[in-house]
Amino acid sequence: MTDRHAPPGWLRQRIETVGAAVLDSGWAARELWLVYVGTWAGIVRRLSRRHLQGRPHGEITRQLHAIGNRSLAFIAVTLGFIGMVMAYEACLQISRVTGDFSQIGGQLLRLIVSDFAPTLAALMLATRVGAGIAAEIGSMKVTEQIDALRMSGVLPIDYLIVPRFIASLVMTLLLSVLGGVFMYAAGGLTAKYSFGVNPGVFFDASQVRGRHVVLLILKATSYGAAIPVVAGFCGLRARGSSEGVGWATTAAVIGGSFAVIFLDFAISAAALLLTGGDL
Amino acid sequence: MTAPPPAAADAPAAATSTAAAPPSTAFIEYRAVSKAFAGQPVLRDLSLSISRGEILFIVGTSGVGKSVAIKLLIGLYRIDAGEIWFDGQRVDQLPERALAPLRKRIGMVFQSATLFDSMTLAENVALPLRKHRRLAWSAALDDARRRLAQVHMTEHADRYPAELSDGMRKRAAIARTLALDPEVVLFDEPTTGLDPVSARRIDRLIRELASRLGVTAVVVSHDPPSIFGTADRIALLYQGAIRALATPDALRASPDPIVQQFITGQSTGPMETPGF
Amino acid sequence: MLERSAPRDPARPPPGVIAGVGASALGVAQEVGGIVLLTADVARALVPPRIDSRELWKSLYKMGYRSVPIVVLTALFAGGLMTVQAGPFVKKFGATALAGWAAGYAVLRELGPILIALMFSGRVGANNTAELSTMTVTEQLDGLRALAIDPIRFLVVPRVLAMMTMLVALTVIGDLVALTGAAIVGHVMLDIEWSTMYHGFVDNLRPFDFLHGIYKAIAFGAAIAVSSCYFGITVRGGAVGVGRAVNAAVVAAAASIMLLDFFLTYLTG
Repeated sequence: MTDRHAPPGWLRQRIETVGAAVLDSGWAARELWLVYVGTWAGIVRRLSRRHLQGRPHGEITRQLHAIGNRSLAFIAVTLGFIGMVMAYEACLQISRVTGDFSQIGGQLLRLIVSDFAPTLAALMLATRVGAGIAAEIGSMKVTEQIDALRMSGVLPIDYLIVPRFIASLVMTLLLSVLGGVFMYAAGGLTAKYSFGVNPGVFFDASQVRGRHVVLLILKATSYGAAIPVVAGFCGLRARGSSEGVGWATTAAVIGGSFAVIFLDFAISAAALLLTGGDL
Repeated sequence: MTAPPPAAADAPAAATSTAAAPPSTAFIEYRAVSKAFAGQPVLRDLSLSISRGEILFIVGTSGVGKSVAIKLLIGLYRIDAGEIWFDGQRVDQLPERALAPLRKRIGMVFQSATLFDSMTLAENVALPLRKHRRLAWSAALDDARRRLAQVHMTEHADRYPAELSDGMRKRAAIARTLALDPEVVLFDEPTTGLDPVSARRIDRLIRELASRLGVTAVVVSHDPPSIFGTADRIALLYQGAIRALATPDALRASPDPIVQQFITGQSTGPMETPGF
Repeated sequence: MLERSAPRDPARPPPGVIAGVGASALGVAQEVGGIVLLTADVARALVPPRIDSRELWKSLYKMGYRSVPIVVLTALFAGGLMTVQAGPFVKKFGATALAGWAAGYAVLRELGPILIALMFSGRVGANNTAELSTMTVTEQLDGLRALAIDPIRFLVVPRVLAMMTMLVALTVIGDLVALTGAAIVGHVMLDIEWSTMYHGFVDNLRPFDFLHGIYKAIAFGAAIAVSSCYFGITVRGGAVGVGRAVNAAVVAAAASIMLLDFFLTYLTG
């Protein structure tokens, strides 16, 4: 925070503020990168020293449960409703223009597979899981439990972030697929009951190509990697007491969500360019 | 004024008297008040009356329910059984909205000061003035600065609570509480966590309030120099009820082994810890 | 969520799936009930509209200042993304005029309000929960009550009004930025002329599409504000509690955004 009692000269203060912010985000970017690299190093260490003692037993299973099972209802509800809205809006437009519903289901499935399922599921997970990870690690940081871990010779990244990273990779992919199923099913029901579209016409996988499935896997794993790293980084940066934890949780939500949107744009644009516009 | 017999608090008569009790004539009166948190009893048939203008210290070991006892008076917690009277009015059943006039007459200084982080000290003190005295912002700020001067905090008026020491925060919190000119001020451990010099300054401030403005002070404390140097009367809270109520000198002379253990601070003795 | 803080008693058998679902449902019902009650309190506090104007202006300023950069960035990428998704159709059918229509329609009615609301919830809603819950655990709310100041009237009402106002303003800004993003991506990646894109927006989009997004923003703003305040003022238990409250607030906000979006689209379509 800036000193509220800086001498007059708001311009100088402004410049100092901006400068500090730039420096701060530079350091933050470097730290974020270190957490990411540290996580991969932790995974390598975990694989190479399989039988070493002091590793949290069953931690990955616990995290799979915490991230996956406990988000399932949330993902099902939110993505289900989004699927209904998408099908409704699309049918509404088509009924105004051509009235030909034969393409709608296939095109919707293509969009769900290649973009909406992983991206929307990950946006929801960034709030649900990202905030949870940051709150948990942030609380441990401000109550000096992280320092206690260090004192007992355990790397906080290995102990705290690696299991969440692995669990998040797996669960984001799984929940993306499940979320896509919910979206498509809910959309099909809406199309049938609001616009009388025959489910046989709506449920049509002919538009989905192998590259769309590759995109789904690529996006889901990228988001799955980004969310716990960003959240863990925010948690480890928490300072002070309750304000610090609040700050970390907020930063994790916003950082995770933005990472998802940015990665989505980057991956989609790259795919569009690589396939020469025929995505 | 000697301590009442310890058995008095346990007398079943206290519980049955709630049916058609006459209005209280004391300034503040607790009648057989009980309070539990999550099934854990904290206060059990606590009875206590406080007269206008006195400085009453409520003392006892940590976790015995001293803070709870004073928060009940202004409705921050609700009692489970019993009655609380203030100036001839029963206050324990008032709804949240009707508590506002009461809270203007009874101020409270919290243990953690509870200044608002997002405001400077002057803005903190000006807030109740602006809200209840209908003062314009600048007039409220001027008045706030005057009141901060009374607690020797003028030079810090434009700083934020986070930039100040505990003692300074506590003095500012006292200024904020006094902004509404309350008749009663409740102090929750005003000297805990302060250095001895700051603590004695707070003690002097409490005495000045009583002697100059006639303010009734109810102070929760477990700081012996503060207790014996400031109090008119001392109430020792033990196992959810008043174990002894006496002047400092009488309390020192009390034969009760529990009272003696608290005063001398011996780790072994008849007292069970925590108080309940 | 935070299982570490509540380890299961090893002596007890693990609860069954049905018991677990029942417990979660009860928890959700309790939270929904609390949020509804708080909404009623806020509405009651508005009846004689004595709003603390200093708190209101402070909230408006802080919330706007905090959230504009992230909303602008998000909207830019989101708008571009819509054109990328429309790209294959444009290429396949050569229907460049439709790119603006598809992107604009999606942005104004759905994507703009939803994404901006999610970002707003993460930035402003979460921050508000953190701030209020810190005030709650440090007894500052009791401090207000002891000064005979109603925390709902003084703290919650200005914040709710500020969030609703700010989210509408940000949605207007975000819509414009997202359409710009859509046009930029259309021009750079799909070689669509600026003027084609512009006419795609102007000729095919009706003011109603824009309004549809705006009244969604009002509803989302209210949902984010009330749930973030609710979890802030009901927090228990120190730093751990604050983290948990923020987590719960963003999850509740995201779920209510999706539900409201469905009902608003369906009821007004």
